Order: sequence, then structure tokens, then C-alpha cells
Amino acid sequence: MYARLACWTLLAALVSASLPTVADPLVSLKDPTRDDDGPGVFKYPTDPVYKPGTFDITAFEVHRKGANLVFKVTVRSRITDPWDSRSWDGNGFSLQFAQIYVDQDHKDGSGFCEGLPGLNVKFKKESCWEKVVLISPQGRSRLKSEVRQKAAALEKGVVIPKVTRVKGKTLEAVVKARDLGGVPKKGWGWLVVMQSNEGYPDRNDLLTRKVNEYAGKHRFGGGSDWNCDPQVLDMVVAPGKGLDGEKEAQHKALAFTCNEADPDGSPLVELPMVYP
Amino acid sequence: MRRLLALLLGLSVAGLPVVVSADIANFDLAGRLYTKWLYRNNDSQGVLTYGNPFWPDDIAGDNGVGTEFELKIFGRASRYVEGYARIQSRFGEMWQDWWESGERKYGGDVNTSGDSLGLNRASYIKLRGTWVRAVIPFASWWSNTVTIGSSDLGMFNPWTIGKVRYIDRDNGKGIFIGGIFGDGIVSYDLAMVALPKLYVGPWWSTGIGDPSLTRPFYSQDWAYGAKITVAPDWGTFTAISTLTNDVEIDMTDPDAVGSLYITCQDDLGNPIQGCEKDHAVDYFSRYMNSVTTLEMQLDPLDWFSANALYGVAVGRLDKQITANGVAQNQGVSPVAYKDTTDLAIRHRIELADPLDIGLSFQFEYFYIGEDWNSIFASRRESDVLLTDGLVEGGQLPTLNLANEFIDFDEDFVESCIGWHGNTAKALFAWEALDLDVEGTYIQYNTNAQNRDVDETYPDFLHSEGYTDTDLYDYANTTDRGRDPRSVYRRNQDRETVVAVVNIRYVFDVLEGLELAGKGKFIWDRDYRSHTSVEDDYTGQIWKARLKMGLGIIDGLKVEVGGQFDWWDEENRKGTLEQGYGDDRTWKAKAFWGLTYNYEGLKFRYYMEYLHKDQARERDVDQLWSVFRSKASLEVNW
Repeated sequence: MYARLACWTLLAALVSASLPTVADPLVSLKDPTRDDDGPGVFKYPTDPVYKPGTFDITAFEVHRKGANLVFKVTVRSRITDPWDSRSWDGNGFSLQFAQIYVDQDHKDGSGFCEGLPGLNVKFKKESCWEKVVLISPQGRSRLKSEVRQKAAALEKGVVIPKVTRVKGKTLEAVVKARDLGGVPKKGWGWLVVMQSNEGYPDRNDLLTRKVNEYAGKHRFGGGSDWNCDPQVLDMVVAPGKGLDGEKEAQHKALAFTCNEADPDGSPLVELPMVYP
Repeated sequence: MRRLLALLLGLSVAGLPVVVSADIANFDLAGRLYTKWLYRNNDSQGVLTYGNPFWPDDIAGDNGVGTEFELKIFGRASRYVEGYARIQSRFGEMWQDWWESGERKYGGDVNTSGDSLGLNRASYIKLRGTWVRAVIPFASWWSNTVTIGSSDLGMFNPWTIGKVRYIDRDNGKGIFIGGIFGDGIVSYDLAMVALPKLYVGPWWSTGIGDPSLTRPFYSQDWAYGAKITVAPDWGTFTAISTLTNDVEIDMTDPDAVGSLYITCQDDLGNPIQGCEKDHAVDYFSRYMNSVTTLEMQLDPLDWFSANALYGVAVGRLDKQITANGVAQNQGVSPVAYKDTTDLAIRHRIELADPLDIGLSFQFEYFYIGEDWNSIFASRRESDVLLTDGLVEGGQLPTLNLANEFIDFDEDFVESCIGWHGNTAKALFAWEALDLDVEGTYIQYNTNAQNRDVDETYPDFLHSEGYTDTDLYDYANTTDRGRDPRSVYRRNQDRETVVAVVNIRYVFDVLEGLELAGKGKFIWDRDYRSHTSVEDDYTGQIWKARLKMGLGIIDGLKVEVGGQFDWWDEENRKGTLEQGYGDDRTWKAKAFWGLTYNYEGLKFRYYMEYLHKDQARERDVDQLWSVFRSKASLEVNW
């Protein structure tokens, strides 16, 4: 009897010891719900695959797991794979495309001050970025090819995860810490933006599903048919605690104007980072 | 003089070429070129492994190369109205067909004229789909979208009106109204869909080819669907109700062409009471199928979700105007030859890494009644159950599956009508490791003795033996096992256990070295007839697959792998009268491939060698030695 109890106790101890331990995240930010409308006016496409909440970021976390970092972006609704991404070497989801920009030095003009092609954004000069992590449904091979083709000047800063997966409402990306330039430090700035994956993007866009003036079957509405509007559906803004005021701050940060005489030459919005 | 110079200057400026751009702001054009190569060490010609199982199939074959082109045109008429059209060339012409015009000038005989093989070999451009969509904002909190024309029917679910397969995505046409209240918390869809004259109904048609009909009438055959969704932050509630209705002409109506009573007199010349010409023709429903589901998705926590789906399917068939496809078509029919009503239930719980240690769980209970059938459900490219199942492509609640128009490297789907059981899955994801384990137990609501498979329930002729989807043939001339649609058997007392383990790890080698393995075991027992133990079936199916993928340089990835199958089947097939035999099958497959993405060009190559050795106790043993390959090149702009 006691021997059996001892055996079970030993087994339980071994199992619990072998399980990974839970550690506090290195970075943890929240975002308010129902703010997946970019500057406050963007509308989802009309096709039924774009379910409410699909692009609505609610949380962002970075964890350290050995030599790797795990990035987690959580959205309001369960993540689905309506276009069977496994059949095109994808990662188990179809619609979302999250980009996580990292400012590692918080110095004026240091790093890249433009967003990836298709996002139509710039960064404030004190918040230019050194690295960006792409959480895309596209397989690594396609993603690398797209970056090489369309963002060659920024390629040095682009980090493509070694593994990207889905857990319920969360997109999870495993990144080698050394690819990010080390384990995140206090003082680093973070910008998490959400756009939608487009497998057949415009010639110069990095897998961006367009926001047009009016919503279409597979086009967001509320923006512009030109390239003067940010193709950002949701983003995390300071202080990153999910407060109602952050919704307003996001709308303000993404508010755009298009120059009628030269729409594609309009000034792009400048996005702020969150320095937790 | 100054005026003359000004005039000359003006004229010269006017004569200069000016930069003019077409007004394309309202247009969005998308083009695509797709080329496929298919080769195998046999003597069939064509660029599609599995074509149309219905005769005559003139494009399927294992050796050939063909190209297709498509152009999608989106246009916007105003802020609220947009239009779409897709034109695409017919796939089936091989490069060697050269000047094939698509005519059959010399009948069906093959000849050297170039006017011999019909339109399927002529790459003609066809209008594949069109729609007009109007957004009607009734109020700031209520907007409607009305679509008239093509739809992939994705607004419903795989149980009711299913999303049509990708190659058919623009074929379904109808009138669709979608509405949203408020912030998307309440939404609805209404649809009226033209029924395809082929495939939705008894005899895979809405009348054409049915021996009991002299004048099939299909231009007023429609499906109707309604959906309402309520989606608060913590869940989604969706109710869907659909009705497919195939109507035919009342041939006793004296106004109908070819009426049985055109003079309103019987054979003796007596007037028929109530029979009167009024220049209006009456209709009857030949076949109706109504499917209703209620689905609740609860997401109270980020890591916890629960899903419950309840459905009822009703089928009504008028035997006076529907011939018996079970009796007259060798048991190959997408419907039971009787009125049917049955239920489906699915409960699913998911714990997504609740302890934050990378360990997730999924549990599912499923019950699909023996008389459930959804004639317009998803036919493939969808999956309603969690389990890996018996074949790998997914389970669907219909007899109307589509395992045709696919190549050898695509998965088969199977019918889950009558399935009753549970699935438990544990998924472990830690750093670059993904490991999942599945256990499923299935009983069958279709278990019965002396089931009428002669007149009522379709058994699809072949219900015995594990299905070989690697070497499938519709006519089963090569003993490929059970038809994936065959859920009914005269005598069945069956239970099945499925166990699956998947593992995947990505190593830091070059652009990533991915190692993936899969192991699967199926234990399948069927006591069949209770009158004898001589026919008791036990199948033990073992499968193991190992695959390695390596990213070499930007855009280039190669893969190599192998699979081994061992099928040990006692009393695999036969009859009580003639006896049963124990069959053993082993298969070995080696494969390699590559994908290459280059500046918008996508190339894929896959090649496999398949060896199959089937030792059959009561028949001659069979051996296959197959080399086959598929390549595709796709460019989109």
C-alpha cells in the first residue's frame, strides 16, 4: 500500500518536474476590444469568412523559452482557417497578418523609420525600429521570397519565426532570441499592428489585403483607393492596458488625410511605440 | 506676330503626346496562369488523375501537361454598387493537342484533323462567374448587402448548404442578402440558390437522367437558406435553416406538354373529373431536403471554448416521379430511397494551453443519425469532426461526397453518416516542437441486420475492406476497398478505434529543417451477420510516415520522406455463401519534392514511388509498382 503510494508520488513528482515551468511574460500588453476599425472608420469585407473580431487584438505577450522567444498575439474571436492554409504550406490560419515592430534603442532616427510595404505607415523619429517580427499564415519560404522581392532595403530587420501556430484565439510565433538581437530589455519599444493576409497582393505590397474607400467582398472599406491610408485594422497603443482611452488614441494615431492632387504622395501617418 | 507665335506654341503643345492614363480607379483586374504537369509509368493520357466518374470522362489521365488562364474583373459603379466577372479557360487541353479546335467533326473517332476531341480539349474561354453587389445602409446601425449572381455559398455551414469546392466557387448562383446590426453582434443571411441540375438530388440530378421522368424540369429548382447569428464577446450563436426543393411537372395536368390527359379523358373516353385546361401547369416536388442546425460557440475565456451543434435533416422523396437509384443503379445513389428524418449532435470542448505550459486538450462527442443526409452539404474541402478519421481528408455528413476532379496527391473525404463516438486529443506545443495524440472510438448508428440495401439504402456496391485512396478506381476493378460513401451494409455490427500521433520539430539548419512524423493505427471490427462467425471482419491498419523539409535558400524548400502501411484484414471480403478470405496488404512509399517562390512565381514539384503488395487468400495476389509525379507553375498578377 505504502509502496504503491510512494511510487505514485515519485511518478507525479517526476512528471511535474519534467513539465515546463510557467514564467511571467517579458512583455505583456492589452488592447481594448471592438477597436478593429483602424482610424475609427474601417469596415470589414462583406464575405462571411471575415467574422467580427477576427482582427481585433486583445493582448500581446512575449515569453522566453530557452534560447527562443515566443510571441503571442490574441484576438477577440477564435482563429479559423477558412482557406485551408496547410494545403499551401501555411501555418494553420488564413486571415490575420500581425506585425510586431521593435525599437531597441529609442534614439532619434535610429533604425528603420518606414513600415513594411503595403502598410502605408511611418514611425516617429524617436520610435524607428530595428526589428519586425512577422506572424503570417504564409509559410516561411513564401514569406522570405516576398520580403526579398518587396522589402529588400528592410530585410535586415525582418524576423521570420521558425514556427508559427494557432492556439484558440492566439497566434503564437517562436523566434530565435538571437534573431531579435537578444532577449527583450527594459526600455524597448513595441508596436503590434494587425492587417489581413492577402495571398495575391498588389505588386508592391507585402501580402497586404487592401483597405479601399468602400468595402468589397475581400476588401476592407472606409479608407482610400490610393495609398494614403494606413492598412492597419488594429494596433496596440500606450499605455497598453486595454483602457477605453486607448481606442481614441488609436483612432487619432491612424487618422489619415489624402492630398487630392497627389493622393499617393500624401504624408503617411506616423505611428507611436509603446514603451512598457 | 506675337499672336502668331502664341498660336504656333499653342498648336505645338496641343500636338505633343500627353500622358493619358485609362480610368482604372474603378477597376481591379487580377490575372492568373497555371500550368500542371502530370506523369506516371502507365499509358493513360490526360492532366487529371481522377476525372468524372460519370461517363464519358475525356480529360482524366496520368500523363500530360496543360495550362489554364483566368482573369478576374472587379468594378465599382458607385460607392454602394460593385460588379465582378471571371473568365477562365477550360482546363484539359494538353500542350500536345496543338491546334485542337474543339469540334468533333468526324464523330467520336480519333483522327488527325485537329477537329476531334471536343471542347474539353480546346481551352475555350468561358464566363465562369459574375455578381453584382449592392450595399444598402438602412441606418448607421443597420446595413444590408445584396448579392445577385455567383457565390461560393460560404455563409452557411458544411452541414446545411456547404461552401462549394474551390474549383466550383463561382458556379453557384442566386440572390443573397446579408445584414448586420450594430457592431456585428447580430447578423443574418438570406439566400435563394439555383440548384445545380447535376448532383443535388436522387440520381445526382434534379431530374435529368432519372428513368421515371420523360421531361425533366429543372429551371425552377431552388435551395433556400436563412441564417441568424448573435455574437457577443463571449460566444457566437448561429441558427441555420435550409430547404432544397426539386420540382417537376405534373404530367397529369392537361396543359403540360406530353400530358397523360391532354384531352381530359381517360382511356375509355370518359371525362376526368377536375381535369380542365387553364393554360397553367402545376408542379410537384420530386425531392426535398431540409436541414436545420443550431450552433453555440462559447468563448468565456481565452483558453477555454465550448461548441455545441444540434441538427435535424429531413428528406422527402416522391416515388412516383423518382426512380429507385438503389435498385436500378447498383446501390449507387446519394439518397436513401425513402422519406427520412434524423438528428445530428456534436459537442466539442477545447482547453487551449490552460496552464501555459504548452499543453492543450480537445474533446468531442458526435452523433449523426443513420437517416441523416444533407444533399447540399459540403462535398469536400471541409471537415465537421475533430478526428483524423479513416481517410485523411475529412468527414462530411452527406452521401453526396466529391472525390473526383482531384489528383493523386489530394486527400479523399469520407461520409460520417451514422457515426457515434468520442474523440480526445492532447496537443503539446513547446518552442519548436509540436506533438499531438488522438484517440477516437466510433460506434455506428448504421449497425443493423438484414438492412434493405436492395431497394432502400445505397451501399455503393463496395462496402468491404480498408479504402486505398492511393490507388483508387471508381469501378473498383483493382479491389481498392470500401467506397468512402458506403455507410450502409446489409449486415453490420461494427466498431472502430482510431489512434493517431503527429510530431513535428523545426531545427535551426539553413532556412529551417522541419522533421515531421505521423503514426496511425485503426482497429476496425465488424461482426457483420449475427447468424455466423465466418464473416466476422477485423482490420488492423498501421501507417507510419516520416517527412523532412529543408529551406535551402530564400523561397526554395525541398522535402523528402517515406510512408509504410501494413493492413492486416481478417475476412476482408466475400459472401457467406462463398466464404471470406484473410488479406494482407503492405505498401511502401518514398517521395520527394520542392517548392520555389521567385518574384511572384510559384513552382511546386512532387514525385513518389509507390509499392503495394496485396496478398489475397481467395484471389490472385496483386502487385503495384508506380512512379508518378506532379508539377505546377503558377503566376498571379
